[in-house]
Amino acid sequence: MKTMNGHKTSKVLLNLLCILLCIVILAPLVWIILNSLKTNPELFKNSLSLPKAWRFDNYAKAWKLGLYRYFGNSVLVSTVSLCAILILSSFLAYGLTRFKAKGAGIIFVIVLGGMALSEQVALVPLYKMLKSLGIYDTYLAVILPYIAFRIPFTVFLMRSYFLSIPVELEEAAIVDGYNSFQIFRKIIVPISKPIFASCAIVNLNFVWNEFLFANVFLNNKAIQTIPIGLMTFKGDLRTDYTTTLAGLIIASLPLIILFFCMSKQFVRGLTAGAVKG
Amino acid sequence: MKTRKYVPYLYMLPGLLMVLSFVYIPVFMNIGYSFFRLSSYSAGAAFVGLDNYRRFFTDEAFPVMLKNNGLYCIISLIVQVGFGTILALIIESTSIAKKIKGMYRNIYFMPSLISLVAVGLMFTFIYDPNVGFLNALLKAMHLPGKAWLGDSNIAIYCIIAMSQWQFTGYIALLMCVAFQNVPEEYSEAAAIDGAGPVKRAVSILIPQAKEQLLVCSIITVIGAFKLYTEVYSTTGGGPGNSTQVLGLFLYQQAFLHDDLGMAAVTGVFIFVITVALSVLQLKVTNSGKD
Amino acid sequence: MKKGILKRAVGFTMACVMAISFVGCGGNAESGTASAGGGSAASTAAGGQKVIKFFHRFPDEPYNSFIEGKLHEYEKSHPDIKFDIMSAQNQDYKEKIKVVVGGDDTPDIFFSWAGDFTERFIRENLILDLTPYMDKDPEWKNSLLANQMSLYTNKDGMIYGIPFRLDCKQFYYNTELFQKNGIEVPKTFDDLLAACAKLKAAGVTPIAYGNSEPWAGLHYIGTLNQIFVPDDVRAKDYEPTTGEFTDPGYAQAMQYYQKLLPYMTENPDGVKPDMARSMFAGGQAAIYYGELIEIPYIKADGPDLKFGMFKFPQVAGAKGNQEILTGAPEGFVISSKTKYPQECVDFLKWFLGKDVGTEQCQKIGWFNAAKDTTKGLTDQSLIDGYKVVSEATQMSAWLDNALYSTVCKEYLEEVSNLTNGSVSPQEAMKKIQGKAKEAQTLVKTGKSSQ
Repeated sequence: MKTMNGHKTSKVLLNLLCILLCIVILAPLVWIILNSLKTNPELFKNSLSLPKAWRFDNYAKAWKLGLYRYFGNSVLVSTVSLCAILILSSFLAYGLTRFKAKGAGIIFVIVLGGMALSEQVALVPLYKMLKSLGIYDTYLAVILPYIAFRIPFTVFLMRSYFLSIPVELEEAAIVDGYNSFQIFRKIIVPISKPIFASCAIVNLNFVWNEFLFANVFLNNKAIQTIPIGLMTFKGDLRTDYTTTLAGLIIASLPLIILFFCMSKQFVRGLTAGAVKG
Repeated sequence: MKTRKYVPYLYMLPGLLMVLSFVYIPVFMNIGYSFFRLSSYSAGAAFVGLDNYRRFFTDEAFPVMLKNNGLYCIISLIVQVGFGTILALIIESTSIAKKIKGMYRNIYFMPSLISLVAVGLMFTFIYDPNVGFLNALLKAMHLPGKAWLGDSNIAIYCIIAMSQWQFTGYIALLMCVAFQNVPEEYSEAAAIDGAGPVKRAVSILIPQAKEQLLVCSIITVIGAFKLYTEVYSTTGGGPGNSTQVLGLFLYQQAFLHDDLGMAAVTGVFIFVITVALSVLQLKVTNSGKD
Repeated sequence: MKKGILKRAVGFTMACVMAISFVGCGGNAESGTASAGGGSAASTAAGGQKVIKFFHRFPDEPYNSFIEGKLHEYEKSHPDIKFDIMSAQNQDYKEKIKVVVGGDDTPDIFFSWAGDFTERFIRENLILDLTPYMDKDPEWKNSLLANQMSLYTNKDGMIYGIPFRLDCKQFYYNTELFQKNGIEVPKTFDDLLAACAKLKAAGVTPIAYGNSEPWAGLHYIGTLNQIFVPDDVRAKDYEPTTGEFTDPGYAQAMQYYQKLLPYMTENPDGVKPDMARSMFAGGQAAIYYGELIEIPYIKADGPDLKFGMFKFPQVAGAKGNQEILTGAPEGFVISSKTKYPQECVDFLKWFLGKDVGTEQCQKIGWFNAAKDTTKGLTDQSLIDGYKVVSEATQMSAWLDNALYSTVCKEYLEEVSNLTNGSVSPQEAMKKIQGKAKEAQTLVKTGKSSQ
């Protein structure tokens, strides 16, 4: 009886803790959303109050002020990078796991070692490299490094998923006369949808939000991505605060929506793929 | 699978080449750069030996950066990895109803989907002494406000707190996944033996998820020494140089002072320290096993 | 299994570093020169158009629209010209422009501050000398304000830029608050302190001040340096090859800055400069040390505010030059690598000339350096401000643009520390002296390597 009671109180306490944490996470976001719907003087007067009139036009203003262009660039850069990351990494992981090729171990070690190398360390030489390749200040200037820096972690995730796929499936396919690419396309990829979903979210999160490379390698306004665009909202001698807040929210929404739509797939990919024990 | 011998390498080659040419080669070139005095707009590249290193280690910002990156690293390990793991245990425990587990997990994960720049800008608002959320709250409770990011004694803690807000849920989700992978029979067997939830967590779940825990802590440590955007978008290193960190220092040396050699030295230092700490963590986990 | 691989991965990385770093060293010297060959800055687009790359630092509205509108207007009247526009905000701009200047894709026309900021590019021969063009066209030369053009002229007499917006720093004060508390416009520094004390006693924040971006504090220090350090000493110290900063006047300038701190907004290091201005505009503070270009902002934030302006008050017996009006115009320069120097000059002649200038001050409240642009301007405070700047006999480059970048960074940090109270003027100057000494050797090694 006593333990039952103890169990109950701890249950209540733990639930309370979880709710409290939700508040800690959500309160600043709610405050930001609230103030993004005010006028600047209202924000200055009392940032905790509700807006007198809900000014959704702040969002339209932020969008028109150039966010749409940054947004479009981000969509382009993210899509291209993401496709390349997924294709190259899944090829690499496929080559590593399904053939027992000589040297595969070393290749995996090399690729995985890339995880320990950070973007900062490569920044200056990359900058010089991109310049001498003539692609500095083009979309490629960020896309290529994004792909290269995301392959290691993606291969790491995909490899363990591929290892968990039973060999029998392939053997049946070989009997049917499939070549290795057909096996990859018709068997491995369909089975691996969850891990593709997980990798897509993880990488999209990186690419969509990446700031360092984008800041250094992109100068032309016409090709800059959203994080750079947000920094330009922070004016030099004058900042339009409420519009900036609206811009922040617009920039953050796509990924959050995407995640909530795909969260089940996302977790399943990671669960099935993780190396057991 | 039986195929021609070169076939697997065809699959591996493109990805491998990308990693080698855009990750490894720049990192090695960076080490070479660190011995030169280099500028991005003039032609000169003068060999200066170890002079860049001497300047780096005697720079007055050096101890400040060590302290700030170190603090960020330690606090992140405690909060993100430590508390994040506990949070994952709570979410995965029987105390939380199955239906709302996913909701908690997703809400905690959400901040990590917002870009660092956006979070940085948001928190400059939240910390603003005049209109910010924190001081407004304090004022509503009739407490004196603080300067937050404007106070050199606490500014770095404000930035660290912001990161904990953003990434604790990320680690918690990764650990949730790891705990879900532990076969339920293990826990059930322990429960039958009379082990309480805490004991089950310590003796079954955490050891089973040790690999994941290691990956999480390595990610966190490397992240702590890559720190850049969080500081760039909030204080820019100030007040004074009280929030200076290695990543920002590197950037400023390269693109504000046009001192690419000094930036390269900073890069080498970040590289050495992250690799060394990764090795150390592997060693510690290994020795625990014996 | 995974652990073993992680470990080997780390080991592999380390081994590679040892091996290839030597290769990296060898290959490096060449890559240094590779980036130097950039000859052509602009490229010719399809259809024989001349593409001019234009890099400015006003991405916020309404300035961005004004500038880009003017560029498009010029494209229409000159179908052979096409602009490729880039822009970045103040601090970003400072970093980015250094990255692109001197590379293969140098902008043809770009924004640049007067002072060492541009002169370090001149040292590398990256800036087009405008003197011959001006000599050829005296009418153009005479249409520009001489006192402003002098700031875009270096000590060898080379004209290297043309102002886009004039600027100067003055104190703005709330006339109602001054009257209500019986305060006269301060003439000396002691008057200012007395006025502040009176305001504070009356429960008013005397000076609105935000230093979260410490260039704001550097504007105070820059002015005080002029007051306390003789001209020739300052000129020598601001020049990176000879800078020492040993004159006691520098510490004195900081001490006077400290005297103002008790009368300023609380925790200025946490307050954004534009937030401070909003407080002044909203009547929450009586005085604001602001720039000419901020007048439209003050009006926007406080449409009912009545304000006047006064120059930085004098300090009796100080050894420096008290006649200087702090501030410098900001303008555009042309790359020496441009394919189309004449086209660029022609464009700037129009873009920074009288017609655009007249429209500019009415539309966005900023003046350029062309004479007689105020016709039709009705805003009295803008006219007052223009009078001060156009009649100034001596002006000075902003301190943060006058200094070598590492010295400047140290100065910014120390002013921020000073504001926080965590350092004394003497300690601050000691650190700045150290950086100045280092800068001397940096500039020299940079040069010897060419």
